Amino acid sequence: MSDQIQLTIDAIPVTVPAGTTVFDAARMNGIAIPTLCHQQNETPVGVCRVCVVEAGGRVLTASCVRPAENGMKVSTNSEKVRGARRTLLELLMADHPSPCARQRQSNDCELEHLATLEGVTAPRYPRRLSPRGQDDSSLVIAVDHEACILCDRCIRGCDEIRHNDVLGRRGKGFNAGIAFDLNNPMGNSDCVSCGECMVSCPTGALTNKSVVRTVLPGEPVEAEELKQLHYFEKVSGTFLELNKNAVVRRHFRKGEVVCREGEYGSTAFYILEGTAHVFLSAPMAHVQTGGGATGLFSKLTSRLAGRQQDRREGENERRKIPIDASVDLPYDNPVAELGPGDLFGEMTCMSLYPRSATVQAATDCVMFEMLRNVLDIMQRNKTLKAQLDANYRKRALDDHLRSVPIFSSLTEEFIDSLRDRVELVRYNKGDMICHQGDIADAFYLIRIGFVKVSEVYPDDDLVLAYLGRGGYFGEIGLLGEGRRTATCTALDHVEVVRIHGEDFHRMMEEFPDVRQSLELVAQAHLEQNQQRMAVTSNVPLNQFLTQGLMEAQSLLILDLEKCTRCDNCVRACADAHDGVTRLIREGLRFDKYLVATSCRQCRDPLCMVGCPVGSIRRRNSLEVIIEDWCIGCGLCARNCPYGNINMHPFTVMVDSPESPGRRMAAIKQKATSCDLCTEHAEPSCVYACPHDAAHRVDPTKFFSAVLQQTVTGT
Amino acid sequence: MIFDDLRAIQSQYGYLPAEQLEALSKKTGTPLYRIHGVADFYPHFHLSPPPKVRANICTDMSCHLRGADALRMGLKQHFRGMSEREVSVGEVSCLGQCDGAPAVSINDHIYRNVNSLQAEALVLTALGGSQMPEMPHEEKKTGLAPDPYRNSPQYGAVRQYVRTKDWDGMIAQLKASGLPGLGGAGFPTGIKWEAVRNAPGPEKYVVCNADESEPGTIKDRFIMEHLPHLVIEGMILAGLVTGAKRGIFYLRHEYEAQEKTLEAEIHRCYAEGLLGADILGSGLAFDLEMFISPGGYICGEETALIEAIEGKRAEPRNKPPFPVTHGVWNKPTALNNVETFANVPQILMNGVDWYKAQGQGGAAGWKFVGVSGDVRNPGVFIIPMGTPMSEVLYNHAGGIIDGKKLKGFAPSGPSSGYLPASMVDVRLDFKSLAAIGSMLGSGAIVVCAEGRCMLDMALNAVKFFRNESCGKCVPCRMGSQKMVDILTSWTFGEGSRSDLKLLDELSEAMKLTSICGLGQFAHAPLTSVLEHFRAEVEAHVLEHRCPEGVCPMRDARASTGTFKVPTGAFKVPTGTFKVSTGMFAILKTRPE
Repeated sequence: MSDQIQLTIDAIPVTVPAGTTVFDAARMNGIAIPTLCHQQNETPVGVCRVCVVEAGGRVLTASCVRPAENGMKVSTNSEKVRGARRTLLELLMADHPSPCARQRQSNDCELEHLATLEGVTAPRYPRRLSPRGQDDSSLVIAVDHEACILCDRCIRGCDEIRHNDVLGRRGKGFNAGIAFDLNNPMGNSDCVSCGECMVSCPTGALTNKSVVRTVLPGEPVEAEELKQLHYFEKVSGTFLELNKNAVVRRHFRKGEVVCREGEYGSTAFYILEGTAHVFLSAPMAHVQTGGGATGLFSKLTSRLAGRQQDRREGENERRKIPIDASVDLPYDNPVAELGPGDLFGEMTCMSLYPRSATVQAATDCVMFEMLRNVLDIMQRNKTLKAQLDANYRKRALDDHLRSVPIFSSLTEEFIDSLRDRVELVRYNKGDMICHQGDIADAFYLIRIGFVKVSEVYPDDDLVLAYLGRGGYFGEIGLLGEGRRTATCTALDHVEVVRIHGEDFHRMMEEFPDVRQSLELVAQAHLEQNQQRMAVTSNVPLNQFLTQGLMEAQSLLILDLEKCTRCDNCVRACADAHDGVTRLIREGLRFDKYLVATSCRQCRDPLCMVGCPVGSIRRRNSLEVIIEDWCIGCGLCARNCPYGNINMHPFTVMVDSPESPGRRMAAIKQKATSCDLCTEHAEPSCVYACPHDAAHRVDPTKFFSAVLQQTVTGT
Repeated sequence: MIFDDLRAIQSQYGYLPAEQLEALSKKTGTPLYRIHGVADFYPHFHLSPPPKVRANICTDMSCHLRGADALRMGLKQHFRGMSEREVSVGEVSCLGQCDGAPAVSINDHIYRNVNSLQAEALVLTALGGSQMPEMPHEEKKTGLAPDPYRNSPQYGAVRQYVRTKDWDGMIAQLKASGLPGLGGAGFPTGIKWEAVRNAPGPEKYVVCNADESEPGTIKDRFIMEHLPHLVIEGMILAGLVTGAKRGIFYLRHEYEAQEKTLEAEIHRCYAEGLLGADILGSGLAFDLEMFISPGGYICGEETALIEAIEGKRAEPRNKPPFPVTHGVWNKPTALNNVETFANVPQILMNGVDWYKAQGQGGAAGWKFVGVSGDVRNPGVFIIPMGTPMSEVLYNHAGGIIDGKKLKGFAPSGPSSGYLPASMVDVRLDFKSLAAIGSMLGSGAIVVCAEGRCMLDMALNAVKFFRNESCGKCVPCRMGSQKMVDILTSWTFGEGSRSDLKLLDELSEAMKLTSICGLGQFAHAPLTSVLEHFRAEVEAHVLEHRCPEGVCPMRDARASTGTFKVPTGAFKVPTGTFKVSTGMFAILKTRPE
């Protein structure tokens, strides 16, 4: 075979090197053959058939895969070829959601363009009836299977170019489609968000999720420069280009504040150079309401008190405060240091929670500030993930384990032995981490995000708890009958530390005191659950449930037949709490009773979701308690559907961030909820009612009594 | 081997649980997408827990003619109270039992000539967890005309050629005989084997395509059952002449009985030194292994079959290059149909002149044809190539059922299209059928009696192609579905004149641009009925009525307005259904 091939293309004699495809031979000679599935950087597969040409023979041949042969006579644009091509485009357009996402975003859907060029405007074929669906699970890439033409460009991009080996074909025939791993949602697959599939896609089947609305302050980072960093090694350049504004380089001078606790944000930071201090500026205290004064009503005052001064029942013993970074802060001196290679603000970035701590540059610093699509790309990078995991294992695992009070006695050696054996696992919003009834094979510590723990009841699920960073679950199953007693679901982006069952049991053997306290906790849990079960099965009317009244452990009710709307109760509450009332005389009515809003200690305590420092939680009595390290961000107050959590401002002295060392007055808030005026025999509001209309009652007993009356007519 | 791993998991769990696939991926280093890609492609594998009873009824051509739709709907109706996890009633593509239509697969046990009472009883048996009855094994036929070893020891050709080593002579004989590829394409075997022989490199393969899956095609099943030694000898000879050391027998998984027959034959060959590292002491080597297909008509396409052997999704390759140079693992491969291999010993033992003399009307050799559909005596017949169709239908197959007249016939299943009764004198050979715009194909004769709606038959055939399209290329994936959509609308009386032009364009584009024969011939059933039964089709499209009263026709002019179940097609031959549980003792044939 000679090295040069001679053929004619559209009657033009052409000479090309042996092995050249007809498509390339035409292109080299200025003849553009239209195509959808072929890209110069990928192995040709010849599946769209749009590039067919006449080259002798019974049928047309796909020029992208057909090697040029000596003496071949090729026509790229005969009537036969154009007719076939038009039909192919018409078939594809018949099912195409025109204009597709790509066409809308950037006006460059290759299919729609080609169809317009070939005069295919209104496809005459019936439209597909069975929907193919969308996949919204990835943070950075939107998948619209409806727009997929199965050109395999993304598949080759993923498997051939990037070697990520995630994308393939699923199904067969008309039901074929693209699939990630075992046909998982993209966000749950091993996809590293490199973006190659998206930039390969000719249509709107894979497009960039545009989160870039906010313009970040700082200098934009060029895609070329990012590609030099090994975190972005495998990421497609075009993809970085598209997400260019989602990551910026920021310089902070020594002493400058990077972010403040309680502020809302949507970015995470990655430290390139320098060190930074992370600390809490809010006072370590809770709102204490005390008596002392005299009068018709016992006038109370509120002040801030730390747990040394005011021990509350059920208060946490933990010595570490979990924050949104790779370190925890000690209770007594909540300050830590972050250095190059540390990432912080992940929860804020992924799930838009308030900042959990203040970060201040300790030296001149250089950081990347990024939006969550870039954070997602980085976190899915195996190199970076390994580094973050290593950082975590090295620095935070001890703190994290020991911050759980019952684990405080674990020895250094034991934690060392766990270091390489624990697994860090990510879950997306809505993922089930473990299911009630499953075999219990691991113990989990939450590193990031919130987990809902719920039990399945005949009619509905009962939420037992919301666990945040530092929370743990899975011990009851491991200690008990070996089955999961509750279902744990990720409420947002969750990362957990998974300790294997065998390691957990080893821990139980080596540390009997840990075992003992865990068993006590587990037993208490079980008893509580049984009680709850009894309560739930006694509820007489669905109405209560729908009104949410039965959610409450205890209710303030006003007998409307006696109440004169004098508002003495509200005033008494305000008087008792430094002028900030925790009671609003409005609410739902049941029979002749008004249920006034004050904390109902709900069964589904939404207030606990999202607390960036995990300072709001339940006591064993199920009442809500707000721990000393509340940073006053106000999220719980906004989350409470009944408006029962209030923000209480205090003036405190803090270090001036501008001139270190100087103290200045600042207003800090603390969240509080109705405390039932535990200082007194009776709540102030009840005590203050001159008409005996206000009562604090146990809803189950109270309503069953009321119900009995209504039913029997007595 | 990925299919072996998947089969092992499936036999343990009944399906392929995701955790097991993840473990398999870790163990073998195969990416998950690839495992899922094949598991989701082949009908043999299930990604979700199967129901307790999976009753699948073949609804393709011959079974369609013999009342499969009524059987399926009746069964579905009967078990409608059961959840999908207990009983699922579905469709399955041709099971290769067209002479025993309708055929049913219940939990992968295949039954022939099933009526609704039997089907219900079988489902109940499976539901109760009892031992499923077995179909009686076909008695082995001996002394068949094409067998050159009726009076001499088998494997004579192998014995002769390992002695003489006259490979050029063998090629010359095959070329002189003009032996065409009998899988349907008709490519001259001598030329193919010579190309593989001349292809460079030490690693070559011989592959037997026994994936026979086209509706109506049952002849390979017959050959493997009754003449397995000829097929295996043909493969050994191919190995010897091409220099291939390995042979792969690619068999469809539904042919379990034939698998046993072939395995026994291969075992015997190894025992007698006809296979192995040193064939009959000649120093020549050839090993033969079975490869059980994970299923799908597309696997019969030669390059798709090769992809399947390589453990991938059976998606046909772009050609050129052809398998003779780039076959299994991209090595030169002689890939032929069962019948082609079986012909080789005949030619080499009896000579070219004998071979040519066996045919009629200028054609050469014997042809195995399967006749099914509306004939009295469906089955496989051995006829001289070139025998007129009328002789096959009336002499061999006993004529049309119930004394009816012939309306049309497909000489080779869906891909040959339908011919009218007026063409019944056509000779069955490659040239004669090609001359009238059809093809000999795989000799899968499907017969339609009067009263059949040819549009309904065309739709049934196009549906088969739609169901079996691999989905790799646009024209076949999209075109076959759109064609089904439009034809279905015609059967409901919703067609218009513009559809006729649209389908002409679609047929042309599918023929010209599809990667493989499936897509290229998917239009044939439609094109042929438009050519030969145009008035009947136009009555549907333009007048919105079905002349035979078969199609559902929503329009008031269609008079019936409801789906008319074809009646009279349920004649169940007695005596062939062996009852092993006593369950059927009370069952008689369905009252007509």
